[in-house]
Amino acid sequence: MSNPSLTNRAGTKVATFPKWLEPLVMLAPAGIWLSLLMVIPTLLIFQLSLVPGIRPGQVVNPSGLDNYFKIFQPGYLPVLGRSLFFSISSTALCLLLGFPVAYWIALMVPKRWQNLVLLGFVLPLWTSSLLRSYAWITILRPTGVINSLLKAIGIPPLDILNREPAVLIGMTYSLLPYMVLILYASLEKLDRRLLEAAADLGATPQQAFWKVTIPQAKSGIAAGSLLVFIACMGDFVNPELLGGASSMTVARLIYNQFLGATQNWGFGSALSMMLILIVSVAIALQVRYGDSSLRG
Amino acid sequence: MLSTIPSSTSLTRRQFLRASSVALIGFGLSGCGWTLAEVRPATQPRGNKDELYIYTWSSYVDDPLLEDFATLTGIRVIPDIFNSNETMLASFQAGKGAIYSVIYPSDYKVAEMIEKGFLSELDSSRLIGLDNILPKFQNPVYDPGNRHSIPISWGTTGLLYDADTLNPGPEDWRYLWENQDKLDRRITLLDDVREVMGAALKSLGYSYNTTNPDEIRQAYEKLVKLKPAITAFTTDAWKERLLAGDLYLAMVYSADAVRLIKENPGLNLKYTVPKSGTSLWSDTMVIPKTAPNPDAAYAWINFMLQPAIAVDVTERLYFATPNQAAYDQLPAPLRDDRSLFPPNEIIEICERIIPVTPEATELYDQYWTKLTSS
Repeated sequence: MSNPSLTNRAGTKVATFPKWLEPLVMLAPAGIWLSLLMVIPTLLIFQLSLVPGIRPGQVVNPSGLDNYFKIFQPGYLPVLGRSLFFSISSTALCLLLGFPVAYWIALMVPKRWQNLVLLGFVLPLWTSSLLRSYAWITILRPTGVINSLLKAIGIPPLDILNREPAVLIGMTYSLLPYMVLILYASLEKLDRRLLEAAADLGATPQQAFWKVTIPQAKSGIAAGSLLVFIACMGDFVNPELLGGASSMTVARLIYNQFLGATQNWGFGSALSMMLILIVSVAIALQVRYGDSSLRG
Repeated sequence: MLSTIPSSTSLTRRQFLRASSVALIGFGLSGCGWTLAEVRPATQPRGNKDELYIYTWSSYVDDPLLEDFATLTGIRVIPDIFNSNETMLASFQAGKGAIYSVIYPSDYKVAEMIEKGFLSELDSSRLIGLDNILPKFQNPVYDPGNRHSIPISWGTTGLLYDADTLNPGPEDWRYLWENQDKLDRRITLLDDVREVMGAALKSLGYSYNTTNPDEIRQAYEKLVKLKPAITAFTTDAWKERLLAGDLYLAMVYSADAVRLIKENPGLNLKYTVPKSGTSLWSDTMVIPKTAPNPDAAYAWINFMLQPAIAVDVTERLYFATPNQAAYDQLPAPLRDDRSLFPPNEIIEICERIIPVTPEATELYDQYWTKLTSS
């Protein structure tokens, strides 16, 4: 792409775009893709969210913010709270479980084995998420795998399925590979000479970890947490299958408004915009602080 | 890793936000008047005459049935499966609907689809065997005179339980509240607002289709009391757990219950239609106005109306046929199965769930959200 013009075999010049237009040619497919499949649909959802109580087949006539006010009615706020609880907790769990793994792969596993070990971690993503949730039902149910094992060694059974821990287990399991991949990418570039210098200057391994390793991995931690958080906010499979009688989340509520008996696409759209807003705030925080941590 | 990306995008994002917020406001307030999810008939008939696309529940077709039809008529049937009426209608309206010539909506959805003008009026001169349909299904409230729909299956909503654990078993919805201690986290109810709220309404002596806010609130409060017993609201994730003995009881549709009982003769599973009444449902076959191949659609409906075929599918797929001639030919064990064919005195106190006003729908949704999130 560095050549402004190309010469064909016969030696004649082939006309090409001016240099300043070249990036446009490269960017156009992605731009068209994004505007057709993201920008326009989002705008349509926004427009629908301004129509109170619209159902399929009705004329779209935006009239106000009623749908947004409805979100703040007493019944719906706890749903938002539960979604945030599930997402933040799962993100924290993924970070706690994923960091040691990524650290181990990036810094302790020999280079030639690293890709294989990473592959092993990503392997579960090759199966459907629905299937993985059903597998957890089999593992967690009262007479399931875990409780059979516990019974065999004489420990009283755990009643986890259809409770909040089951949802956290399912979400954490589903999203752990993403966290590990991103943390690995940032830990792999860790400058080991800084660790050696820290040791030379008398830092204990703990001090070196908190003052050298963590700051260098900060952008990876932020990016991984963000990705897991966003995916958790939109997950409705795990809460529905593993959650109990009290597991309504924003994603499930949105599903009910579009494909449930309620058929209130306007309210569903307002909830979707709310979800987009929450996720955007998370991204904004990442852009603001993830960035400054690198500079500072 | 992200060192360069955020700094370069934060600028463009800011510009983008500024430009787009202006655009959004304009867009949100202008551009009125388009119709959400409008279904337009395909101008060119799609596909060829030898292909028939049908949109159905998973339990109504299997390979032998499709092969029989292909042998008889030379028409290849391509079934697509939906798992709720709402999903079906949403994808029908989203534009996918124009490829189907036969759809299987349930009773109340038939009424809604007629009202929206999606269904073609059936030409009874082209249908053979209509008089075989049981009289009580000849003139349903959702489609008087069966002018747009032909019933294919019917059933009830009830309680499926493990009769070894629960003995005596339930006879009515009331059983759930009376035996709540025994049932602690051992039951599932359907993931369906109207079915669950309706059961509570019925046990209080009210109608499934009430729009009275006070009655709906009472039903909600009654369900709140039952919460400790309910381990989940689910329409199909109960099967394996009931078979494993983790659940004692599940609120299910009769067709699912009968199939599970027949497939597991070793277990002592029983199905009860609650005494104080329950919801009655029918699934039907309809031809949408947008049907690309109406001739094949009529051939399919006529095929399904044949008593011999109806007997065949009832024996194989265990759904209750509304076909009198077929019912008479069924082997005695199936014909006398009160789970599959409940007696008339029970049917008389059952109700069909019909759509309620938008205000009531809203109220049901609010209570349902509260019930499933508190």
